[in-house]
Amino acid sequence: MREGPTVNVSGTAIRSRTAGPPQGVLDELELLERIKAHDVDAFERLYRIYQPRLARFLVHLLRRPQLVEEVLDDTMMVVWKTAGSFRGTSKLSTWVFAIAYRKALKARARWPDPLENEERDSRVSNDPSPDSELERSRVHDALTRAMDVLSTEQRAVVDLTYFHGLSYRDIAEILSCPVDTVKTRMFHARRRLKQALSGTLADWL
Amino acid sequence: MPDQIHSETNLHQEAEELLPWYATGQLESDERLLVEQHLSNCAHCRRQLAFERRMVDEFDALTPQVDTGWARLKQRLEPRQSWRRRAARELALLRQSFIRPQVAAVAFAQLAFVIVAGSVLFSLSRPSYRALGSAPPPQSANVIAVFSTDTTEPQLRHLLQSNGASFVGGPTPADAYLLRVPATSREVVLVHLRADHHVLMAQPIDGASS
Repeated sequence: MREGPTVNVSGTAIRSRTAGPPQGVLDELELLERIKAHDVDAFERLYRIYQPRLARFLVHLLRRPQLVEEVLDDTMMVVWKTAGSFRGTSKLSTWVFAIAYRKALKARARWPDPLENEERDSRVSNDPSPDSELERSRVHDALTRAMDVLSTEQRAVVDLTYFHGLSYRDIAEILSCPVDTVKTRMFHARRRLKQALSGTLADWL
Repeated sequence: MPDQIHSETNLHQEAEELLPWYATGQLESDERLLVEQHLSNCAHCRRQLAFERRMVDEFDALTPQVDTGWARLKQRLEPRQSWRRRAARELALLRQSFIRPQVAAVAFAQLAFVIVAGSVLFSLSRPSYRALGSAPPPQSANVIAVFSTDTTEPQLRHLLQSNGASFVGGPTPADAYLLRVPATSREVVLVHLRADHHVLMAQPIDGASS
């Protein structure tokens, strides 16, 4: 089974926005070279770079903390075992996120029903808090509820765009779909988000 | 005229689709130009852009905490390899201790912990009663050693027998074993043990130098 995409499935070349890769990317590629030689210390460093980003990505897709841990670990184990198959035709981050996305879809197939109500209950705090905190909490709760109405694919596109700041070309590679599909998914996701948020956030819609 | 209307509709749709990536600065220059030109004469897209920017801010603040651990993942790596690395690291630290005095304190503190932990574990694992025919209490250990994981039982037996050594305790939390070797020939035995490729580490542990 192919674990890491090595071709650009969107059919378009990944265009670099700068003259060369930034220093952080070079460091990551150097780490990957060491990981290919089974350097555990290098793997730990790469894990610490990607753990927060992957955890954030997966928690929106999966909703179950335990499942997030499992999928995150499985993703990094694929990186560890198949580092040699990374050919550099895409960004390293795109490769890692694509693995995580496929693992997440498989995990969702096994655990189709998110614990939405339990999560919501735990998110609402009864503690007295300043107005600004209350407002922020209200906005976050509304946004999280709004994300619930989206499909897994739409949530992935929304999170990769707004939070991870990825281009639609990179997202197309991660999701293994054409770039137009990414744009369409985002378009419909925004519409549904707006509808879901309209009651709570009328002031800025 | 219908063609022009059709073209403007397409342009609007194209620009609106690109707005999220315009808001995050992820468009190529030609696409950025297209969006900017359209924004200058489309109030709907300007409002939509405000929504995109607010979403970027809100998503940035919406960061669920997920606690996943490196320690757990590390256990899933090749156990033999990680064990070897750890043993090699311990050995390297001990080797350094003989070269750099400042490292010696750390090395021996670590070694002391291994010995104390090993001794405690060993004493806890011993039954408090003595059955008839039980072996006499073991003598105190005077060597601590780490063996490679590919050492077979016959190899280990031969290694101990040929050096007059016997197990006293272990494995310790650091996978080391406590050995008793003849006190009079300990230094020679240590040389033999260290020369054997199955022995990753062998050190005296009762204060005497090797």
